[in-house]
Amino acid sequence: MAKPNKILGIPRRNFYGIIVFALILSTVPALLRFNTYYVYLATDIILIASLVAAWNIIGGYAGQLDLAASAYMALGAVVTGNLLAFYGLTPWLGIPIGVLIALGVAVAVGYPTFRFGIKEVWYALLTAALVVILSRIYWLIYGSTETYLPTYEWSWFYLRFNRYEPFYYMLVVMLAIVLWINYRIRHSKLGYYLNAIREDELAAEALGIDVRRYKLYALMIYATLASIIGGIYVCITGVVGYRNFDPWLGITTAVMGIVGGLGSVEGAVMSGMILRTLEDYLRGTIGSQYPGSHLLVYGIILIVVGVLKPEGLASLIEYVKKRIPWLKS
Amino acid sequence: MALLELKNVNAGYGEFRVLFDVSAKVERGQIVAIVGPNGAGKTTTLRTIMGMTTLYSGDIVFNGRSITRMPTHKRVELGLSMVPEGRRVFRTLTVYENLVAGAITKRAWEKLEDTLEMVYNIFPKLKERRNQIAGTLSGGEAQMLAIARALMSRPDVLLLDEPSLGLAPKIVIQIFDVVKKLRDEAEKTILLVEQHVKHSLEIADYAYVLEQGRIVLEGEAQKLMKDERLKKAYLIF
Repeated sequence: MAKPNKILGIPRRNFYGIIVFALILSTVPALLRFNTYYVYLATDIILIASLVAAWNIIGGYAGQLDLAASAYMALGAVVTGNLLAFYGLTPWLGIPIGVLIALGVAVAVGYPTFRFGIKEVWYALLTAALVVILSRIYWLIYGSTETYLPTYEWSWFYLRFNRYEPFYYMLVVMLAIVLWINYRIRHSKLGYYLNAIREDELAAEALGIDVRRYKLYALMIYATLASIIGGIYVCITGVVGYRNFDPWLGITTAVMGIVGGLGSVEGAVMSGMILRTLEDYLRGTIGSQYPGSHLLVYGIILIVVGVLKPEGLASLIEYVKKRIPWLKS
Repeated sequence: MALLELKNVNAGYGEFRVLFDVSAKVERGQIVAIVGPNGAGKTTTLRTIMGMTTLYSGDIVFNGRSITRMPTHKRVELGLSMVPEGRRVFRTLTVYENLVAGAITKRAWEKLEDTLEMVYNIFPKLKERRNQIAGTLSGGEAQMLAIARALMSRPDVLLLDEPSLGLAPKIVIQIFDVVKKLRDEAEKTILLVEQHVKHSLEIADYAYVLEQGRIVLEGEAQKLMKDERLKKAYLIF
């Protein structure tokens, strides 16, 4: 077993794994023959997978049931979107500003929350409420009208395109970065602390881990990543409105992370991809005939997975690894 | 001067007050026992020393420094370490990972190898099982692991909360032997909270009896053992 002070940093195996994974993903648009609708769906799936992988830092590693993924994502989205729509500011500057605002909200919410020891279901409730509160605040300021971003045929400066491929590749890079950060955390002291906090917060505190600080760090990293994803998302959809703050999306992100297996980023990405594909597929097939029925089927599938594989999809990956010797190393 | 001293401590949880005017001293190299019935405030006393409760008034002095307003992780850095009640090992981590998690202060991290060797010497069984998942250990082994994990931060004072809780009588004796060994060989100072009054007084140097958040009796452990009131209250002989 490696000494922990020597594994600060990302193991080479994981690093190459990410690159191979990203290369495989980048062939997908060609396989879909650059069909606009299919590439849009693929973009959506990669976006959700990145969001779930970012959630894994607070939910999987730190063990906090955070339902506010869509809040941080939407903050990135509305800031980037409004700056572009009203002031013509490029998203390349809009996204960093969105990140700063999302970070501010994360600290303003996270600091008192962790300071007063709010955890478990109460933390979940608080974060779920955060999405709704932010949605109402946005509604009070901008009203219920939606703002449309200016359209450009092909502009890297304004990140507006008439095709989805550029966004697809941007999000593949984003997913690779989120994965890299996940592995980096897992193999660092921060990862050790978060692990201990998730397992037993009181014991971790008694051992001298500054529980509040490290939970806040995890929250800040997660909020940053989610708001960057949101900034890209708004350029894809081209619409800004209070509906960006979507409580349902916050919950599904957490559900996907849990189904993937807490603490396993591979499981999180896998479950994000599978469940989002399934959701889109069901919406396209039975959902179009009987509106809403795709959510019913989706819910049933979640229950079945929960019963059959309570430890999450990550256990499937472990199973495959055991069967294929050269993956073990 | 005492290594650790509580001066007129009043503490509790939020509005709910548990400790009333508790004063106690722990001298270097001693085992000090706190005994008493359920709900007397024994665990609260330890948690107050670690800074995990609400302190209303009073002062806690460690090594000549007031630590009253210090957060928990700073106190661990200074050399206090607690083994929480009910063991609370990290169940999904291996024994080794549990131990590493215990060495998180900067001072301890640098000397990780040395401490690990020292801990494995005291608990040879943990060395055998270092790659085992902690959740699969027996109760006694898990308790050993919890103590070993607390030792990884190289504390001067070890706070032990009910180490014998839920263990078989034979294992309880082993645990008490280990506690004694920690004082005699590893030169640790130990503050022990226990319900096994007789065992605790046998190995302790000094003892406090806590009832309803107040110290009702204190003295050298050997003398306290002969105290009529205590005998009557706890039927220890």
